[in-house]
Amino acid sequence: MGERTRQILPSVLSVLLALAVCWLTIALTRDADTATRAYLQMLWGGVGNWPAFLDGGNANAVLRPLGEAAMKAAILTLTGLSVAVAFKVGLFNIGAQGQMIWGALAAALVGAHVSLPGVVHVPLALLAAALAGATWSSIAAVLKLKRGVHEVISTIMLNWVAVSLVDNWLVIGPLRAVAEGQQSSITGTAEILATAQLPRLLGDSSRLNLGFPLALVAALGVWVWLTRTRAGYETRAVGLTPEAARAAGIPTQTRAGGAMALAGALAGLAGAVLVLGTEGRYPGSLGAPYGFDGIAIALIGNNHPLGAAVSAAVFGILRAGGTRMQLLGVHKSFPELIQGFALLFVAGRMVWLAVLRRRREQPTREQPSGEQPSGEQPSGEQPVAEVPRA
Amino acid sequence: MSLEDASLDIVPGELLAVVGENGAGKSSLMNVLYGLYQPDAGTFLMDDKPVRLKSPRDAIARGIGMVHQHFMLVPTLTVAENVVLGREPTRRGLLDLDRACDEVAATAKRFGFHLDPRARVDTLTVGSQQKVEIVKALHRGAQVLILDEPTAVLTPQESDELAQVMRGLVAQGRTVVLISHKLKEVLGVADRVAVMRRGRTVAEVRAAGTTVSALASLMVGEGSRGAALTGVPAASGAVVPDAQGEATSGPIVLDAKDLRAKGDNGRPALQGVSLTVRAGEIVGIAGVDGNGQRELAEVLTGLRSLDSGEGTLLGGPLKGLTPALAKARGVGHVPEDRLARAVVKAMTVEENVALGRHRQPPFARGPWVDFKGRRERATRLLSTYDVRPPDPTVALQALSGGNQQKVVVARELDADPKLLVVVQPTRGLDIGAVAQVHARLREAKARGAGVVMVSLDLEEVLALSDRVYVLYEGRVTGHFPRKDLDERELGRRMLGAESDHG
Amino acid sequence: MLEVLHSLLFSTLDAAPALVFAALGAMLSERAGVVSVGVEGMMRTGAFCAAVAALAMPTPLAVLVGMAAGAAIAAVHGFLSIRWRSDQVVSGMALNLVAMAGGTYLLESFFGPNGTPSITQLSRWDLPGLPAVPLLGALSGHAAPTYLALTLPFLFHLLLSRTPLGLRLRAVGDKPHAVATLGLSVSALRWGAVLGGGMMAGLGGAVLSTAVLDRFEQHTPSGLGFMALAAMVFGRWTPLGAFAAALFFAFGNALRIGLASSAPWLLDLVPQGFLLALPYLLTLLVLALQGQRGHAPAALGTPYEQESR
Repeated sequence: MGERTRQILPSVLSVLLALAVCWLTIALTRDADTATRAYLQMLWGGVGNWPAFLDGGNANAVLRPLGEAAMKAAILTLTGLSVAVAFKVGLFNIGAQGQMIWGALAAALVGAHVSLPGVVHVPLALLAAALAGATWSSIAAVLKLKRGVHEVISTIMLNWVAVSLVDNWLVIGPLRAVAEGQQSSITGTAEILATAQLPRLLGDSSRLNLGFPLALVAALGVWVWLTRTRAGYETRAVGLTPEAARAAGIPTQTRAGGAMALAGALAGLAGAVLVLGTEGRYPGSLGAPYGFDGIAIALIGNNHPLGAAVSAAVFGILRAGGTRMQLLGVHKSFPELIQGFALLFVAGRMVWLAVLRRRREQPTREQPSGEQPSGEQPSGEQPVAEVPRA
Repeated sequence: MSLEDASLDIVPGELLAVVGENGAGKSSLMNVLYGLYQPDAGTFLMDDKPVRLKSPRDAIARGIGMVHQHFMLVPTLTVAENVVLGREPTRRGLLDLDRACDEVAATAKRFGFHLDPRARVDTLTVGSQQKVEIVKALHRGAQVLILDEPTAVLTPQESDELAQVMRGLVAQGRTVVLISHKLKEVLGVADRVAVMRRGRTVAEVRAAGTTVSALASLMVGEGSRGAALTGVPAASGAVVPDAQGEATSGPIVLDAKDLRAKGDNGRPALQGVSLTVRAGEIVGIAGVDGNGQRELAEVLTGLRSLDSGEGTLLGGPLKGLTPALAKARGVGHVPEDRLARAVVKAMTVEENVALGRHRQPPFARGPWVDFKGRRERATRLLSTYDVRPPDPTVALQALSGGNQQKVVVARELDADPKLLVVVQPTRGLDIGAVAQVHARLREAKARGAGVVMVSLDLEEVLALSDRVYVLYEGRVTGHFPRKDLDERELGRRMLGAESDHG
Repeated sequence: MLEVLHSLLFSTLDAAPALVFAALGAMLSERAGVVSVGVEGMMRTGAFCAAVAALAMPTPLAVLVGMAAGAAIAAVHGFLSIRWRSDQVVSGMALNLVAMAGGTYLLESFFGPNGTPSITQLSRWDLPGLPAVPLLGALSGHAAPTYLALTLPFLFHLLLSRTPLGLRLRAVGDKPHAVATLGLSVSALRWGAVLGGGMMAGLGGAVLSTAVLDRFEQHTPSGLGFMALAAMVFGRWTPLGAFAAALFFAFGNALRIGLASSAPWLLDLVPQGFLLALPYLLTLLVLALQGQRGHAPAALGTPYEQESR
């Protein structure tokens, strides 16, 4: 088994197994036929109904679903990258949700209350969102670096603080849209100006907008940064062995803080893409736990920026198709169940590797032996930590 | 790499020593005897009956106790809690701590240890912690006591005390198995010596009828690598004394006065250390583990900040030194804990070669990584320093410990340091690698670098140093030029004795 | 005034048990060294299964079913993190996601979006004599979980500090290798703590749907599991500390709800969102002040491997 296969195979198998388990779930609670038809609906809803299109149907049958999938994939890519970047420096960013909330709010405010030509308005709103997200994640970074507070706990707390302050106060209070005429039941912030909307790429029939290419560029950028630049090299070194990085003269706190800020910025951008691309304002709440999804996306993508983009694409398609499952009485959140199971199976990566090895019956040990050969367990399995920890 | 065809006979009421190089399988064999590891094949007889030890529980039940090299104590619990853990006295279902304390105090007293059963273990010295470990085994009724490298962290005086404890146990009819690579020490205390090499037991001899050099050649094997590499039969099988050590009078590279710094626990670790280092000499820092040596090395490499004191290091002030600044001035560093401090084991060998100099050519071009330059330099260093495999693209963790250390030494020397700070540079290496590392240190000295070497291995300090400072509780308690070096006197100073002759 | 205080105390005691049980469960698991971010998912599973079971059996039995369900989720966590040494935070978050989406799917498939049909709530107990006493009277009239929540923390305290098992659990969370060399099984101890923790979290969830409400609702437990984690950290990983923190959080919640109905003008001054955020902000503040990992068990989150030390 090559190194690359070792990295990718468990993720692929996990997603496939999750699909199978979830099919079985529907088959058991309903029946096998419904399960199969629901899956087909999910597929057509995600990638478009190609058979119908090729039979001479409307191009919209394909463009619209693809647009929905791309939209979801863009947000998932960005939150996935957010989690992955933090992992690279050894931090577990469970707080992408909170960072995304602030990013979305910032984008909504700049989008609605600043008037500028479109060429500057969109970048400004994106920048504001990135800054807002970075600020929020930096709180966790400072607590970690200065006070030793574990980031898992602090980011969970910060998520709830963000939800409480934004959803339960700001957008229903001071920042609530001023009701016009009879529409007094409106929740959320004011509608953004047309200049702040992310341009649609395929006309009105598909909601595919600038957000998707933006997310891909972000993934590519993060990958290049991590692998080709000194700063990225330093960041990885800090994440893998912080003390060795410090001894090598690397400013570890700057790198850890920087990566965490970048993570927050990426999550903030996810919020901006949601607000500027589809919602048009900060709604009453974000609607879905995209930030938590980011954890699944990053880990299923094996913490690789491009892997995150691929897994975001897969789950973007499934989720866009999820709405179509409702036709068969399957709740639209069903793809989230698939995603949860996939993450669960990815967490069992060691199981996959053991199973694959047993099947291969490799005579030689795959894993290099550890530091002290004398202290090694004869039948010991070398653990592969999925997550570099600080 | 672990055990292949190892056999051992343990006779009741004797002190058996098991010697061998690092990685020869001593610890593995002992962990099998203690039920921690399961052998793939082979038999284990006790009193001529076959026995299967499935876990330490079985071993303990059969009267086997073990004192591990890295203590197996829960730092947040008290001495008594640690000792009774797993066989706690109870009263009406609840833990009876008073009885535990009484029992532990009684056991300790019976074997002549002074221990406060109510003290928390993390407040004890290393020597006392070892006593807790021994009491823990004896409290469980150990008839056979296995001690794994027990003197690695002790002074010669403490080692003597331990030897008396071991002889005392044997005199009481118990059996002691001592694992060590310090041959002189072993011959002083053991009845019988078993020699291990590459996972096999290759010889068993009576201690009275053998010599250090005979044991050393058994340990290393025919056509010994150590002897072949150095041309000198190794005294302990590891260290070759320096024949031509002459004090030099090169320019001063480090001049430090009254250094004070805190340790990780916030307590003072350095309490007024002054020392000088000149170009072209090796300065040894001796001392019992935990007396400020590590903190001193960290101060010199910018890893730990000073509370007070001043000094000049390579033309700049010592105060405010950072790792980056130290590197820029020409300080090289081979830290003690390689995997934590010196390398990123999950990265490739070439990425590790770049570590620390990754911002400059040939490792970088502007803000970008220079892949080509890095590959070339790494390939060259791997062949110069005989690293195996000489492949710069494998993960560093795929290399053996000795080869990892070679990568570190190669990297640090390649930067042509003016001051080289090395801590325990040969810990855990086999004889061949030890000889190579020592040769490289001498080479650095010959090239005009000042070398500060912290080592807990007195033999290593004695063999390489031009001058030796002894640290005790963060103070310099002795300073010896090479000609005045004396092991017993060093040992006295390591225990805090002030000089009696000014 | 006394009236107001009485009703505040009463609703605190009514709402606290779920939080107390979940916090104790998380603490049990973490003291043995296994991170417990999956407590939210365990609560949700416990709440759902108890609500469904109560449709077919007496409610007290259904609570036991909820506990078993929490333990079942914990078993998956144990399998991944103890048996296979997976990352404990990842495993816990995965279980949260599965429980979140799985609960929604099953609820909608069988009962519709609004929740399960209503069930018989656990009966409330009137303590003789107490209702007449001012303030103390607030102790009377709760369901069994409240009284359990007032005693269990002390039993847990006794367990951890005064029993052999407690000593071993503390040791295994601080230095598992020391425990292993004494012939005790690290994985057995951790399995016990994880399963016990799952049962407690399941109980916490079951209480939500059988005592606080009378059915399983779409968003149950809506973050209460994370608040239990906060309480555990706030309480420095000790049973009594976690208990006090959980009571404090529950009191804060009762105060907020009480204020909203009795003094709406106050909420104009202090927005509701601030009050909601308060427990989390307080936890962050305490953590920032005590600093340096606080009092977490030393081996928390580190999978046990025999060969490393």
